[in-house]
Formats: sequence, structure tokens, C-alpha cells
Amino acid sequence: MTPLTIETVADDHHIARLAALAITLHLAEAVLPSPLPGVKPGIANIVTLYALYQYGFGTAVWVSLLRVFAVSLLFGNFLSPTFVLSLTGALLSLAVLWLAQNLSEKYFSCVSVSIFAAFAHIAGQLLVAWLWLIPHSGILYLVPVFSAAALLFGTLNGLITAKLLATG
Amino acid sequence: MVIKTLQIKVKAGDWLVFALGLVTVIWLFMALWSNEPAGKVRIRSGNQIYATLSLDQQRTVDVPGALGVSRIVIYNGQVRFEQSPCRNQYCVHQGWLHKAGQVAICLPNRVSLELLGTKSYDSLNY
Amino acid sequence: MRLVRNVLLLLFLLLAGCSREPLYQSQSYVFGTLVDISIYGESDERAQQISGHIQQEFQRLHDNLHAWKPGGELFRLNAAFAAGQSTTISPQVADILKHATKVSQESDGLFNPAIGGLIALWGFQRDEFTPVSPDPKQIAVLIKANPSMTDLEIDGTSIRSRNPAVKLDLGGYAKGYALDVAADYLHEQKVKNALINIGGNIIAIGQHGDHPWHVGIQHPRHAGAMATLDLPDGWAIGTSGDYQRYFELNGKRYCHIIDPRSGFPAEGVQAVTVLIPPQQHAGALSDADSKPLFISGSVHWREAAQKLGVQYAMLIDKNGAIQLTPGMRQKIKLEVDGH
Repeated sequence: MTPLTIETVADDHHIARLAALAITLHLAEAVLPSPLPGVKPGIANIVTLYALYQYGFGTAVWVSLLRVFAVSLLFGNFLSPTFVLSLTGALLSLAVLWLAQNLSEKYFSCVSVSIFAAFAHIAGQLLVAWLWLIPHSGILYLVPVFSAAALLFGTLNGLITAKLLATG
Repeated sequence: MVIKTLQIKVKAGDWLVFALGLVTVIWLFMALWSNEPAGKVRIRSGNQIYATLSLDQQRTVDVPGALGVSRIVIYNGQVRFEQSPCRNQYCVHQGWLHKAGQVAICLPNRVSLELLGTKSYDSLNY
Repeated sequence: MRLVRNVLLLLFLLLAGCSREPLYQSQSYVFGTLVDISIYGESDERAQQISGHIQQEFQRLHDNLHAWKPGGELFRLNAAFAAGQSTTISPQVADILKHATKVSQESDGLFNPAIGGLIALWGFQRDEFTPVSPDPKQIAVLIKANPSMTDLEIDGTSIRSRNPAVKLDLGGYAKGYALDVAADYLHEQKVKNALINIGGNIIAIGQHGDHPWHVGIQHPRHAGAMATLDLPDGWAIGTSGDYQRYFELNGKRYCHIIDPRSGFPAEGVQAVTVLIPPQQHAGALSDADSKPLFISGSVHWREAAQKLGVQYAMLIDKNGAIQLTPGMRQKIKLEVDGH
């Protein structure tokens, strides 16, 4: 009997390392108390953003989705509303990352991309929440708060990523 | 500035994106937070404001008017005239009010209810 | 971070900036109804003083134009008509009666302030009325007597009626007239922006800050507005509804709007709203013009509107179906509500 071996390439190692880091950050954030329920800095997104700039879009997709699935399995909320919200947010911000690749690097750094991604993330989440969970106009009152948080944390995460990219 | 000491390169477009984000956030606040749901009812008796009460409670209020006492009930974010000393009882038939700007008036007893909050109009034609 | 602090500060300032606006509002019970005065862009003290004056003027008009309360001019005129005598008339009331006569003629007599006798039979002149069924013979007598505004003869400061059955009741005119009086006074006082609402009849002066005054139209069967529209400078709006004053007898609704041809309350319509563009008597017309449309009913109301020159009107029939004139369709915004 031959031992089962899986051929891995360099990319797989990046993905594994970064996904592990993203999961750790996500978990760390989850145990920290939040002043407003649902408003989170989303520091795991720094990893996704870093992956995009360092290794390309494909790696960013892997890192982002692996994190979403792994965290939901760890918390035992796979396929629950929390998971769907998380996945929608991730997918929408990935879509925006894909579009943001076309931005001129001369004028736009990862800070811009991070802000766009953060807005896409909450837009996706709020849309699902509204269509599925709370089909009530009451959710509109949350939109300004969430978008303010998106702007704030999108900017901060972008700045941190920029620093990491500059030093790394 | 912190950004400079950290040696982060922020580009021109980033400022633009940030400014755009800021405008969006402010716009969202102004567009969505000005439309509060009716949270309070103003009760008038005669030309005076009798009371301004939160709808977020269960309460019965007896308001003295020109003819007698109007009984007003607040329940579950809504308010209505429950009993009125007037003959035609239009105010009671108005039923529950729950949206900002809605009014119920008892002309004979000179007691009125108005739901406060940002209403979508300045005055009501009836 | 300074950036974040600045952002939060800016947000806070922008939000705080929109909270306070120079809008004064007062509500009072005069004219036997609720009077709602909004004044924009004046100091609170001045706005209070001006609305106080308007309320006093309304009270004076109400007393003077009350058909059934001794002491006022209209009561005195009615007594003289019944006795077949001529009597003196003030210039103000003479103007009112001349204009009301003109509207009455344009409406083929459907707007008829001379049928106070019929209104009394139904008991709608009282603040508190009871379900009654008047004697059909008495109604027939009054219909045969055919009291009409054209029976009046005004000669300078004196007036008489050729028909002793004429009993003036300006219930469908006086509130609108009072709007015109208030608008004149506000112009005189150089108040640029105000909204006056007397028992549902509204006139706009200027606008509310940087946008026109916006008014809601009461749903005839529910609390709250069924539609909203902008009321630009000088425009007036009035509604006749079967929900304003009515009683129910044996399951049937009798509303306060009497058809002068039959002597019975008009049927088949829940409400008629008219919108009057800026002109002399805009307020009075907003009050008077809705009545003939209401009485004409859901089939013939457009003809009545045409005769009166009313371009902007809405009718809600007994089933709650909404009909709009082309002009009104452009002005009005119907509320999408779950009623």
C-alpha cells in the first residue's frame, strides 16, 4: 500500500498559510465584544486584500471562501443565516475586488479597493438580511450605521494592508 | 500625520474614494434617519398641549375636554380614542393611529391626537 | 486618529445642522373646527403674534357668518328674509353673497347656500346632531319653494329676499373665505411663507424652506393620508367628504352634503377634492367648488368641474375607486399603503 500523497504547489502553500491566518483573525474578532451587534472591523479582510495584491485574484478568492466555510464549520453554523450572510458579503466583496483590478495603480492604492470591498460587503449582507431575514423597512435604519462602519473599517484595513505590502 | 510616519503611500484616488464614501454615508444618514417611525403622540385639549407621550408603552389616559373625559389608549406603538363623551363618535371610529402625521380629532370635546415624527406632509386636507 | 475624528465631527455637524428650522406651528379650536397655522421664516414671537391675530379674525368671522347663532349678521339677515323685510348689510357680507351667488349660478344651483332650511330639517347645523329622518312632506315643501341665491337683491347697503324660504347657511363657503382673509392679512404683514388649514381647507403662501408646502389628503375611510401633493404659492385645496359630518340610520350613511334638487343627502361619493390655482377667491373656491362635484356624482362630476372651470379635481366613489382629472393626475402622488 502506498501512502496517499497530494501534490502541492507554491500557490497552495500561500493559500493555506493565508487562509489559516484569516481564520485566526476572524475567530479573534468573534470573541472580542462589539459596541454594536453586527458592526465588526472585519480584520480578516486584510488577509484577502493582501492575497490579492501579493498573489493575484485567484488566491484572494480561495483565502476568502476557505475562511467563510472553515469558520462556519468551527462555529457550527454552516448553512445557517449567519453563514449565508457571511458568504454573500464575501462573494460581493470578491466581485468588487475583481472589478477593482481594473483601477489604475497610479491613482488608487489598496486603500480605495478596501473601501469599495467594505461597502460591497455590507451591501450584500444588508440585501440578504432584508430579502430573507427581516423583510421590513426597519432595516433601513441600520443602513447608515453599517455604511459608516464600512467606511471607517474599510479605510483602516486598507491602510494596514498598504503598510504590510510596503514592508512585506 | 500618522499616515506619513507609518510611511503608507496614500494616492490621490484614495482620497477621492474616501470622500465619495463619506458623502454616501452622510447622504444615507440624512435620507434614512430623518424618517423616524412615529414614536410619540401629542394630545391636545382645547388650545393647550395636554401631554406628549411615548407610544412605547401600554397606558390609558383620561383627557378632560369641553364636554367630558376622552379616554385614550396607547398600546403596542399605536394610539386610539377608546371612549369619548361626544355623540357622533367619529374619533372612536378613526381607530388606531400608528404612522407619523396621522391625526384623530374629536371636535365636540376639543381633544386631538397627533402622531409626531417626520411626516411626509406639512398639513392634512380632510 | 485625527482623520477619523474629523470625519465623526463632520458627520455630527451635518446631522445636527438639519434638526432645527424656523417653523412656527399653532393649533386652536376656532371657527367651530381645528385651525392649524404654520409660519416659516419668522421669529417665534412675531409668528405667534400674527397667528393670534388670524385666530381672532377667524373667530369674529365665524360669529358674524353663523347662520344659527343670534348676534351675527347672517342670523339677522335670515330673520329679515323670513319676515319679508329688507335690512342693512355690511360691505364684507355683501361681497361674500355676490361671489357665492356667482358660484351658485355657475354650478347650476348645486352649490346653494340658500337651503339653510333643508339643512335644519336634517339637523346638520348643530355641533352635535342625532340621526333623524325628516318628514318628506316638509322637504317637498322646501324644494317647491326653491330657495335660491338669485332671490337675493342687494342694493348698496341694503338687502332683501324675494323668496321667504331663503335661509342662508355659508357652511360650505365661510371657511374658504376665511382662508382668503388670512392670506390677505399675511401678505399685508409681509409674511412670505405660511400654510393655513381651517378644518381641512388649506391655502399656501410661499413655501416651506427650499421646497413647496406639501399636504396630505385624508383617506375617506382610514386614518392618515391617501395621497400627497405640493401646494405652491397661492394655491388652495378643499375636500368635501361623506366622512366629515354624517350619521347612520338603519345601516345607511347620511352625509351633511344635501342635494338641493332632492332635498336629501347626496349619495354615491365618498369624497371630492379640488385644487384651485392662485386667483382672487382661491380659498373660497376651494371650499365651494367641491360641493357641486360631490352632488353631481361619479358619472357627471367632470361636467360640473368643466362648468366651474375646475381643472384639478379628484373623486372617490362609493366603492373607493379614484377618478382624477388630467390636471390632478399630474399634481397628485397617491400613497402606496397597505390599506
